[in-house]
Amino acid sequence: MKKQRSKCGISLDRRDFLKLSGATTFLVGASAGKARAFYAPSLPYKRVKVANIKDLKEDQPVLFNYPDESSPAILVKLGKEAIGGVGPQRDIVAFSALCTHQGCPVSYEKKRFICRCHYSMFDPAKNGQTYQGHASQWLPQIILRFEPTTGDIYAEGIEGLIWGRAKNIIK
Amino acid sequence: MALFARKDQIPIPPKNAEKYTTVCQYCNVGCGYDVYVWPVGKDGGPKPNENALGIDFTKQQQALVGQSIIENMHSVIIKNGKPHHVLIIPSKDSPINRGNYSIRGGTNAQTTYSPTKPTRARLHHPMIRVGDEFMPVSWDEAIDLIARVVKGVKDTYGPDSIAMKIHDHGGSGSGFEDNWAVGKFFFVAVGTRMLSIHNRPAYNSEVWGQRERGVHELNYTYEDARLADTIVLWGANSFETATVFYTEHMLANFQGATVEEKKKEFLKGEPIEPTRMIIIDPRRTASVTVAEAIDKSRVLHLRPNLGTDYVLANAIARAVWEKGWHDEKFIKERTDLKTFEDYKKKSLMLDVPYDEFMRRVEKLTGVSRADIEKAAEWIAKPKAGGFRRRTLIIYEKGVIWNYKNYDTIAAIAQLAALTGNYGKPGTGCGRQGGHQEGYVRPHSKSRAKLVGSIYAGGPPPNVDEYVKNDLRAKVYFVSGTDPYLSTPNAQEYKKRVHERTFALTKYLSEYAGFAGEPAGSEERAKRILEGLAKTDGLFLVVINMYETEIGRDAHVILPAAGWGETPTTYINCNSRLLRIADQFMDPPGDAKPDWWIWGRIATRMKELYEAEGNFEEAKYCSGMDWKTAEEVFLDGASEFPDNRVPEEDEALLPAECYKGVTYEYLRKVGQKGIQVPVRIDPKTGQLVGTKRRYVHKFGTPDGKFKWYGTDPWDPDPMKFYPPQITKYFKDGNDKKFPFWFTNGRTQIIWQTGYHDRYLPEKVYSLPLPYIEINPVDAEKLGIKSGDLVEVYNLEGNVVALAIVNDAPPPGMVFGLMYRWKESLNHLTTSYTDPKTTIPWYKASRVGIRKLKGSLESVLKYTSLLPNNDFT
Repeated sequence: MKKQRSKCGISLDRRDFLKLSGATTFLVGASAGKARAFYAPSLPYKRVKVANIKDLKEDQPVLFNYPDESSPAILVKLGKEAIGGVGPQRDIVAFSALCTHQGCPVSYEKKRFICRCHYSMFDPAKNGQTYQGHASQWLPQIILRFEPTTGDIYAEGIEGLIWGRAKNIIK
Repeated sequence: MALFARKDQIPIPPKNAEKYTTVCQYCNVGCGYDVYVWPVGKDGGPKPNENALGIDFTKQQQALVGQSIIENMHSVIIKNGKPHHVLIIPSKDSPINRGNYSIRGGTNAQTTYSPTKPTRARLHHPMIRVGDEFMPVSWDEAIDLIARVVKGVKDTYGPDSIAMKIHDHGGSGSGFEDNWAVGKFFFVAVGTRMLSIHNRPAYNSEVWGQRERGVHELNYTYEDARLADTIVLWGANSFETATVFYTEHMLANFQGATVEEKKKEFLKGEPIEPTRMIIIDPRRTASVTVAEAIDKSRVLHLRPNLGTDYVLANAIARAVWEKGWHDEKFIKERTDLKTFEDYKKKSLMLDVPYDEFMRRVEKLTGVSRADIEKAAEWIAKPKAGGFRRRTLIIYEKGVIWNYKNYDTIAAIAQLAALTGNYGKPGTGCGRQGGHQEGYVRPHSKSRAKLVGSIYAGGPPPNVDEYVKNDLRAKVYFVSGTDPYLSTPNAQEYKKRVHERTFALTKYLSEYAGFAGEPAGSEERAKRILEGLAKTDGLFLVVINMYETEIGRDAHVILPAAGWGETPTTYINCNSRLLRIADQFMDPPGDAKPDWWIWGRIATRMKELYEAEGNFEEAKYCSGMDWKTAEEVFLDGASEFPDNRVPEEDEALLPAECYKGVTYEYLRKVGQKGIQVPVRIDPKTGQLVGTKRRYVHKFGTPDGKFKWYGTDPWDPDPMKFYPPQITKYFKDGNDKKFPFWFTNGRTQIIWQTGYHDRYLPEKVYSLPLPYIEINPVDAEKLGIKSGDLVEVYNLEGNVVALAIVNDAPPPGMVFGLMYRWKESLNHLTTSYTDPKTTIPWYKASRVGIRKLKGSLESVLKYTSLLPNNDFT
């Protein structure tokens, strides 16, 4: 069966792909008058410089806001290749810092994100996977781009819905 | 980049969206959820006055205060032939969860049926086995076939030739309605004794040891977890198995957030001390380590050797007695002093000097005397000013599915009575619960004599053994459960059930030597009855929402409606709170609610009996031709006694009595619900719920708590344990099987993961069943997290992913009890308590071998971080 590669990198067989396409056709916003697939990134994210590799140290998180001031995020160099990681070691990742469970801040400690409101824990090396706790939704991962010439790291979009919003870009 | 497609926006319900009240389909906690349904293309706007939620989506919501709406809470369904959005969000109006939710409940929307989503795997049509495949047939055909076989078998061999294993619970779309219908079918229309409950081999209460004391296991209310001075979790890993109850209420109390509530409920001058937690579990579970991360000094963790909990409970009670911390006033006024003598002699063993008693206890349980006495102090030592300490004891499967089920539960229930911890704010002793409850069955009209524990006409028959080994078993119904995964000693069980069902399958396919199988339900039923007479065959009917493991051996598979596809009602466990989980969509294909299926089979049997002039039997099959779920709900209420009684007589009402409640009432009260048992106030005629049970008296004829003297015990393990375990201590088996094995759940999935297996998060997080092994043992065996191991013993074997962490003590491994296709119950023994027929899932002995290689995708995508480290 012919395999197609979707944008998110998951390989789907043709039958599944057609069904997925079928699903997205339901998500047609009559008000918008055109198809609105909600699969991320579906919004016009700005490209923002968030760090330079020379300032990063392993396990020392960098805090920033993205895509706007009311959405805290954390970037961290894990020291080991991670899903979605950028940089020479593919170990630099960034996530929304709002727990997907009820919006409390998560902190980076001991190679994982932990929320101290209800003790959900997320694995930054594994796509923000909830490996313990309440959070049904994995932590939204921020799409990063690394510029080898300058060492700059840019945020370019978000995969996953930020807690407390119906749309990642609210303005 | 992402492992699966994520979203970055979800549609907002418009002001005119349909809104329904529902309750989570999963665990005992029973979180309330609000359901919104609206046509695709008719979304609401982001301003508060433009949407049904009244939320301002132009701004970031505030943590905890805001409404959680996440990707998983939205899906697209087909309703009335048109695509509709469905949004299922944790209800802020629910007193239980107050907007909080779990990793399971947060995905309720993902479980809704959609032809374009993974839930398309739902069963759509009744199917019969033809040769070696399943073919769709109409309900008329399937029902006629089943009715003819059941009737034929019953007429020839008697009602006990029909056996069943059936859900008995709330949640998953099966509440009071389905339970009443299935009860009426088997108790009345069929009249068989060969009944068993979804997770065990017999038809029994898991807690007769408490019920026969005059106490139903659901007696406290969630507020008690907010008011207690000490919370005891015994064999209950509540952070993972009653998640929201643990964080929303127990932790709130532990963190001091409920002081104002205590001020209102406590007696005048009574001190409010920092809350303590005692957790009794051989593992360092997340429930222990979360509490320790908050304040280790207020957490006591006892780790008894497997199977020794009743001795430990009695030892804590003895320490209480020695220190004089028992509640004399309560014992004298509320309990039966005659049976108390037996308790003192056999359970407290007052004839044995205290020092000697404690020496024996330490040897057997592995728990130190100092810790036992500390537990006694935290449970019962009066507070300053002589005020009684308020202790809430919550127990669950760790002790229910333990050695000597009856005595273990009785010992814990009695520790609570000795310390006066029933019927007052902040006290209680009862189950945490697994699933929610919705038990109503026609016991008063049952044609078969159903028995209780050994002290009440029992024990009940072991139906697993019956269908495996007794050829009198001819028909087997399995509904709402998958015993190929969940029953003890599962490897042997499925082998035998397969052999027996295959014997019949083979007979059918050999019809006339070489021709096809008989055509049509009449001819097919005849041939099946012939086969059941001539072979050791078993006719298997499976009813479920999805294909199950046991389904592969079925002769008929019937598609059941699920949660949200029929109105249903059930109670949660922490508060006995009855609410409606309303219908908001239709079932897939031709799937039908269970109550409808049982009603149709009974009604067809009635017609068959009438046709042959047997009006006596026809009568027993009548009255089940229900048209609506509410008819079934109201029919079930007829089983309850007169509930127009004063408050103190609530103790005598069945725990789940809902007489007088209607769907209209439940829709009106919504998330507020009503706590069962429900009374009709004799003065006002109004429905009244019961907040906390046994405030005035217990559920016995004289209203007194009945004591019980537990079994004697020997501190030598060879003499203490049953043969199913001691066989592992001898003949060289101690070397071959050097580890204790225990099992349990993870909060990531619900039960067999019948829905979860279709959700990408769960598939990545739980790619195969796992075991946890202590670093000390792992190092000896050269095992690291992510390795594949084979775990084996004299019962069976399994392959599992190894996770190295310090949750199990050295010398013990823990395994996930089952996953969607694999069962670690291959390793459990066939032991059941001779007093109750309750199995002991929680202990056997095993050996472990590291297998070659590893699964690259698992190492790449699955988190192996320690899930009990919160520091």
